[in-house]
Amino acid sequence: MKRPRTTTPGRSAAESGPAPQSVPTPESRPGGAAEGAPAAPREAGSRPRTRAGEAAVGTEPGPATADAQGEVPGQPVRPGQPEPGPEGAAPRVPADPVKALMSRHRELCARAVDPLEIAAGLEERGVTDRTAADCRHRDVFTLAEELYARVPRENAPEADIVAPERSCWARVRSAARSAVPYSLPGAACAATVAALASAGAQAPEVRTGVGACGAAAVAAALWFCARRGRGRGAGGGVSGPLSVGWLIGYALFGDWLLTEVLHGGPDALPTAAPAGHDGAPTALALAFAVPPGAWCAHWFAVRARRALAGSRGLAEFAGRVRPLLAAAVALFLCAPAVLLPAARLVLGERPYAAWGDLAAGGSLAVLLFAARLLAAHGFAGAAVAGLAAACCVEALAVCAVLIARLPGCDAVARPVTAAVTAEGPAAVPVAACTAAALALLVRAVPALARASAHTPSRSGRL
Amino acid sequence: MAAAVAGASAAASRGAPTGARGGAPRGASGGAPGGDTESRGGLGGSEDPGGSAWLADRFASGLYGLAELARDAGGLPRALRSEQAVRLLEAACRAPGASNRARGARVGDLLATTALLERALRPLSLDWYEEAGGDGGRSGGRGLAGVDLCHATAGGPAALPGLLAKRFFGTPLLVTEHAVWLRGRYLAYCDHLDRHDHACGSGGPSPAVRSLRAAFHGLLAAEVYAAAALITCADAHARRWQERGGADRARVRVVHPGLGAPFALGAPLSLDAPLGLDAPLGLDAASVADVGEGGADDDGRTLLWTGLIAPAKDLVGLLHAFALVRAAEPAARLRLVGAVAPERGAVAYLERCRALAAGLFPEKGTVSFEMAEGPGPAHPADAYAQGSVAVLSSVAEGFPFSLAEAMFHGRATVSTDVGAVREVIGGTGLVVPPRDPHALAESCVELLRAPERRARLGAAARARAQELFTAERNTAAFHGIYLEIVAHCPVRGASVDTDGQPLPFARPAEAHVPGHWSAAPPSSGRAARFRQWLPGGGPAPRTRPATAAAPAGHVPGWARGAADGGGDAAGAPGRRLAAEALSAPARRPEEDA
Repeated sequence: MKRPRTTTPGRSAAESGPAPQSVPTPESRPGGAAEGAPAAPREAGSRPRTRAGEAAVGTEPGPATADAQGEVPGQPVRPGQPEPGPEGAAPRVPADPVKALMSRHRELCARAVDPLEIAAGLEERGVTDRTAADCRHRDVFTLAEELYARVPRENAPEADIVAPERSCWARVRSAARSAVPYSLPGAACAATVAALASAGAQAPEVRTGVGACGAAAVAAALWFCARRGRGRGAGGGVSGPLSVGWLIGYALFGDWLLTEVLHGGPDALPTAAPAGHDGAPTALALAFAVPPGAWCAHWFAVRARRALAGSRGLAEFAGRVRPLLAAAVALFLCAPAVLLPAARLVLGERPYAAWGDLAAGGSLAVLLFAARLLAAHGFAGAAVAGLAAACCVEALAVCAVLIARLPGCDAVARPVTAAVTAEGPAAVPVAACTAAALALLVRAVPALARASAHTPSRSGRL
Repeated sequence: MAAAVAGASAAASRGAPTGARGGAPRGASGGAPGGDTESRGGLGGSEDPGGSAWLADRFASGLYGLAELARDAGGLPRALRSEQAVRLLEAACRAPGASNRARGARVGDLLATTALLERALRPLSLDWYEEAGGDGGRSGGRGLAGVDLCHATAGGPAALPGLLAKRFFGTPLLVTEHAVWLRGRYLAYCDHLDRHDHACGSGGPSPAVRSLRAAFHGLLAAEVYAAAALITCADAHARRWQERGGADRARVRVVHPGLGAPFALGAPLSLDAPLGLDAPLGLDAASVADVGEGGADDDGRTLLWTGLIAPAKDLVGLLHAFALVRAAEPAARLRLVGAVAPERGAVAYLERCRALAAGLFPEKGTVSFEMAEGPGPAHPADAYAQGSVAVLSSVAEGFPFSLAEAMFHGRATVSTDVGAVREVIGGTGLVVPPRDPHALAESCVELLRAPERRARLGAAARARAQELFTAERNTAAFHGIYLEIVAHCPVRGASVDTDGQPLPFARPAEAHVPGHWSAAPPSSGRAARFRQWLPGGGPAPRTRPATAAAPAGHVPGWARGAADGGGDAAGAPGRRLAAEALSAPARRPEEDA
């Protein structure tokens, strides 16, 4: 006898309905394809439950298990595929009809976090209450519960993030591509310095104009860099860019200004290259320190994310991130340490005579790096505060000297004068930037050791 | 400091406001919000003492504690993303009784979970909480206080405003789920669909994240069901899921979706379609009336499939079945009319089916794919008029709209036994097991060869559809449900005249209609008038959000919020809130007497 493949929708309703139709022979039509008369609207809620129960109780084991064996959903039965079980032969009775389902949906069952997930997945893969009844279950839910109980959970921890396998050449190429925007400030600065050098014989107005244009180009490039990557737009307002502008401006002209003020000046506006206090090497070195800084910040963010995925607890994560932060800062420190003397060499100037000049550039670079790192991880307020504090110290130093010109206020300028006498004019920015950078780094250690500072942002880069 | 972890369960031990920060209202952009809610999670409730009731209670108090925090201090999203929330979640995951998967959560998993919570709970931060105005909040109040009945047309986060209204103002809540939200969430886990908030980029969410998320979703669904005065669903299949999710059997009603709203075949499809809903062909009252008794005018050789093309429709199986049909009936042809479902892989699936069809049936015109953007039928009803037998080959279905449409058009149907198919077809068509091309083919051949039987089945199907699946019936059902709910709810803010006597009819229901209600088109009958308050003209399954129907200038603040911020959490759009207001006389029948 051919096994029944067409079910009767609402068998009980059909039986109670008026005059069930005569059933044709099994050869001409599938077994029980019944059609009821237009069924009266029923209360629809309770029927499947009771029907499923009936099916579970009333199904003979023979055909039910045959269905379970041959017709377990999951693979569409292809036409022409031989029917499981020869016609007329006694169907094999598997001892465990759930086993076939289990092996077919093993991945779903192993991944599931609770039985309802298995039930939803099974339904979506075409398992119905009929299949569940074949497995001697009341409905899909109880079937899912059995599957959930029987299939071992996939508790293996997720593998640590594996970077997508890329060839060396591809990695170099992508690194180069992402480095291009960060090289723009350096390029603009180099072009400006070159233009100024070639315009050495021109009138001071021309030199000033070239310098201003170059400064604008570098500023635009810096702005472009700041808009990229993690924490973009985190600067919040104008105080951040203003502080950065002041700090860089002081690095270029501050020493000249302080010297002039100390000596009763300034008598004239600075030219693009004040004698004896050429800011070009510092500017060039700072601009070329942008790509290393971006790389270090990116490296830190990536390693921190990896630590995020690998750490079992917040304390462990903090313990992993702190050395990372120190390493990132130390790595970045190498950049100005190399770039500042190199820029002087390239520009053909004498090497740093005093330790203070090198320290001024280096501390400013570290300050900017720390501020960027903090801002990128959601602490823009702290970053701006650190930058503004450094600005204030520098501005106060200059103002103190000016105030000292008032009668009776000599004492105000005494610390500045003493420092400049001892260490040269660079002592002021060194003190300001170093203190601010240290403060920011001290702030960054607990702040960046928090897990919430590393919430994945939309832009994964930098 | 406020801490907010509802994570899989929040519970609140609400302490006093702490120090200077406590109670100071701060904006969302302010510093760490001062608050007084400390929520601690207890994960894996099955092992907890006291069982699920205890856990649900802890979850509910935590949830409403967070709502109070959002109301009093603001800054809830910030608090949920703060380090302290992560710390609390970690403590909850390590607490005794937590499930093994939660115990294995890495820090990245904790972050992903707090992000999920923050997004899911964003509706708590909107300006719902405004108290009623001087006249009882009935005129223009921005908050939920002026609402008489909340009707959430989806579960989960979409029902959060309803929960708040219930909690803070005692407003009754009606929940309608056409596709059960919890089931949709589970399916999304299965398919890795919502991986975009996963911390670690590659691969799906980790087991820990999925476990925490499932616990949260399950508890939220249970809380919604518990708070709802009545829960309606589209079919018994959904009802079973709702009961599994914690809905009280006595409060679940099946309200079949009504067809009859003018859906155009070529209308742009959007992700707004709830899971499991199929895009019906155009069907309006006129076309339903025009269709003949069915079966008489078909050509006796055309099989018709309609719907949204997606892998779950098993068109491959249908094509194989059709090959068998062709072997028996060489003149048979197959028309597939519909559109591509807005889901991943659907387009590729269509291409695969086309290729398969071209391979199986080299003769031109045997199988025709008529997609919405392609040359479709001249009139949607033509597709049904020319088809002899409507076929549904899905392996998974929610409420089968295409089947109901075929029934409206008086077509005999052959469908697979999935979802609510049995319930819809009710004996007026043939039902075969899913993924069984042989059975499908045999049934189709059988019907193709028996025009008389086809006509009889079609007429029966048409009668059944007109009895059960009309928009009028749906509207009337909701009308009755609304009246029933408000009849059981205490009257708030009743109007009184100068002598202190109750004043019936003081606030007509039309006062709540966005825009100028007197300019509304005239409509006849109470049901029709009722329908005009509803978003999109009635609680038909694919109504637009309430705010979409209102003129832009008249959308109240809370409704704007619901449209903007509320609908993001799960990536399952289609959740809507229709806040319904019923007239005063309806709420006080005893005064009319």
